[in-house]
Amino acid sequence: MKRKQTLLAFAGSLTLGAACFSTSAIADVSVDDLMNDQATTGDIVTNGLGPRGQRFSPLDTLNKDNIKNLYPVWSFSFGGEKQRGQESQPLIKDGVMYVTGSYSRMWAIDIASGEELWQYDARLPEGILPCCDVVNRGAAILGDKVYFGTLDAKIVALDAKTGKVVWRKTIGDYEAGYSYTAAPLIVPTEAHGPLILTGNSGGEFGVVGVVEARNPETGETVWSRPVIEGHMGTLNGEESTMTGTKNATWPGDMWENGGGATWLGGTYDPDTKLAYFGTGNPAPWNSHLRPGDNLHSASRIAIDPETGEIEWGFQTTPNDAWDYDGVNEFISFDMEKDGETVKAGATADRNGFFYVLDRTNGEFISATPFVQNITWAEGMDENGKPIWNPENRPGDPTESADGKKGEAIFAVPGFLGGKNWMPMAYSQNTKNFYVPSNEWGMDLWNEPVTYKKGAAYLGAGFTIKPVFDDYIGSLKAVDPVSGEVKWEYKNKAPLWGGVLTTAGGLVFTGTPEGYLKAFDDETGEELWKFQTGTGIVSSPITWEQDGEQYVAIVAGWGGAVPLWGGEVAKVVNYLNQGGSVWVFKIPEGLASK
Amino acid sequence: MGAALNKVSFIVASLLVLALLGTGGSLLARPLDDVVDSGTISIFVYSDYAPYSWEDENGAQGIDVEIGKHIAEFLEVDVEFLIRGADENLDDDLRVNIWKGDLIHRRYADVMLHVPFDREVDIRNELAVLSSPYFQEKMAVVHNVSELPEVKTFGRFVTNPIAVELDTAGDFFLSNAFRGQLQQSVRRGRTFADAENLYLEGEVHALMASKAQAEWVAFQAAKAGIESRISQPPMPGIVRTGWPIGIAVKHDSRDLSYAVGDALTDLIETGKMGEIYERYGVSWSAPELE
Repeated sequence: MKRKQTLLAFAGSLTLGAACFSTSAIADVSVDDLMNDQATTGDIVTNGLGPRGQRFSPLDTLNKDNIKNLYPVWSFSFGGEKQRGQESQPLIKDGVMYVTGSYSRMWAIDIASGEELWQYDARLPEGILPCCDVVNRGAAILGDKVYFGTLDAKIVALDAKTGKVVWRKTIGDYEAGYSYTAAPLIVPTEAHGPLILTGNSGGEFGVVGVVEARNPETGETVWSRPVIEGHMGTLNGEESTMTGTKNATWPGDMWENGGGATWLGGTYDPDTKLAYFGTGNPAPWNSHLRPGDNLHSASRIAIDPETGEIEWGFQTTPNDAWDYDGVNEFISFDMEKDGETVKAGATADRNGFFYVLDRTNGEFISATPFVQNITWAEGMDENGKPIWNPENRPGDPTESADGKKGEAIFAVPGFLGGKNWMPMAYSQNTKNFYVPSNEWGMDLWNEPVTYKKGAAYLGAGFTIKPVFDDYIGSLKAVDPVSGEVKWEYKNKAPLWGGVLTTAGGLVFTGTPEGYLKAFDDETGEELWKFQTGTGIVSSPITWEQDGEQYVAIVAGWGGAVPLWGGEVAKVVNYLNQGGSVWVFKIPEGLASK
Repeated sequence: MGAALNKVSFIVASLLVLALLGTGGSLLARPLDDVVDSGTISIFVYSDYAPYSWEDENGAQGIDVEIGKHIAEFLEVDVEFLIRGADENLDDDLRVNIWKGDLIHRRYADVMLHVPFDREVDIRNELAVLSSPYFQEKMAVVHNVSELPEVKTFGRFVTNPIAVELDTAGDFFLSNAFRGQLQQSVRRGRTFADAENLYLEGEVHALMASKAQAEWVAFQAAKAGIESRISQPPMPGIVRTGWPIGIAVKHDSRDLSYAVGDALTDLIETGKMGEIYERYGVSWSAPELE
């Protein structure tokens, strides 16, 4: 159906004149196209291969038998003097790839030739202090525009044909520590038409997590929803409702600067018509100062895009003391359990537990560890609340105010999480989730004395440490019904890239060592690999073009891992930076071999 | 056609980038000879940090800015200020502003002012050199005399609200003090100016900050007809009640730090240092070295 539209559009442009580039065949992207993205294999118009973010492609041309014949078609360099981490997932529409890169850059590339159509460089101001590298995680597309967020906390709408700015809006004040790196999420509504949803990201203190919805045509804000209780939301330019009840789970005025940044963006389920966002850790870092659960920090929340109201919240780490950001993606899927189909959603948390919830109401179904040797909690109770190990909660710094370094505790997972930003995938074939995880912990102690803005201050010291001698990265197949780990692939360096799975029985992910790898979705056997020349910390995609199945990955080592030293640095400090996209397919005639 | 247009705009963008790099080129830490030869010294000071340093429509302002101008005068060079906010801690500030630069434009300064002079910090930051203490920082409370005539202990603030800048040494102390008993009374300002406004507008009658900042608030409040007093009640459990403030340079520019140190000594010995502080309502205190 979509293919036919494209062909018609292309025929139309031919009648106008032979000098037209193939880009003139771009058909406008509708919100239905976004909702049906998973089923339409000729394009990738959402982050996550569909609004649910399952990262599953129904394509099966490429399979376990012929994957050995997968070869690169072209590689495109991002160029420039600056490289660093490339965490972007490209979008594909009518033979054009839209891909973002480090330092808030974006390119449109003609897939047939690998040639650049246009490049957009955000002119970044000097005062930006991005906490965790200068990455971007991808774009959104609707109508004739492509959208992405920039490090100075702006969202930009570009003309998809020319790369020219249509509008540019401020998400937050970069001088106050706000930034933006996630792919925006576009959702349908009855009241407002399509809306473009963004979270926010920024420094550790003073930033309050918020989800904002904008009109994609104009960039005007339609609603906003702060995630920390006590703050007021807005709808159509007026105050709407308060999030939760002020001071219910926060002391004093701490809710005003309570953290909970929604820095990883969200997913949407066309079935429940809810948008799901994760929220970051609470502030300040010293949990002893903020007795209470500190809602909705370290949570998953479901928002009704019609009004911006929170339908439900589920907190994974109440009163967080370990920096277990709760931002991880919530993936909607239908789960067969005890002969019934459950409208479920799954999320693999920084805290090391794999949660399955009822996505209609947020009710807890199960939580099982997906990394080994977790120390901070013994497990979850029947409501999904952690059963804490009190001796493994970081101490109160005032207890060691004599200026001496406090005693260290070892907590697993480490602050970079059992799983960090990198998205997992769900296979509709095997019914397994494929979770990119890391086996590491952290030493935590109260720092002797540090200084902040010229004044003496007590900080927390921490260093990240591998749990095992021979590997940190671990790609796991997790059965969401039983929580059982079906297979595991171990990687020496920590995994930091997203996962893709296909109906062809393949699971793709990249490694910091530079390999794009394909695994057997049932056994975990490594079937294929290709060395891209620099580390991979991004998410692979696959699509069909002119009857052939393509695979693409962005390469370029960086992200948060190389910013930390300690023992982990030993396995990554030799890795070289880069910035490129690689595109693969099976050469003609070899697909059936 | 479309591609050709893109190329033109791309070249324009590149030229702009080059222009930016051109102006930024002088902002790289250098030894003394290079600074003198170039005719300009670049000095880092914090933004939004009254009375020490801030920027408004009149440009760079404050005690540290005036000190920076005197340093340049002493070295017979021009001065250029690099003004940025504070990162999570001093180690980050030294990295971003003295030896490595920011992530985007890689700019850093020759000298950083207002650096706590601390041996531990000096040792763990190998690429920065701390020296030349020129002032003694202390912690204090400023309070409205007609509302709170005396503040002998922090017990006053179990029931009376007290303002403080968010996520500062004062905030940390108040949040922890007496096992959280002051929690309900702490009014946190997102910036120091926000906290100061709570006091000036009479929403609170006390504010905790460094003594110099407290004196500055009293100085501003006097203009609004509020009579204030500075008190230093016991602060059980506070990290430090005072610490010396000095400068930092990059490790390869020690000779520059000696020359700047001479300029600071000159300011102190001629009495000019005290006069600068006085203009902001602050009494200068000599650094106390262990």
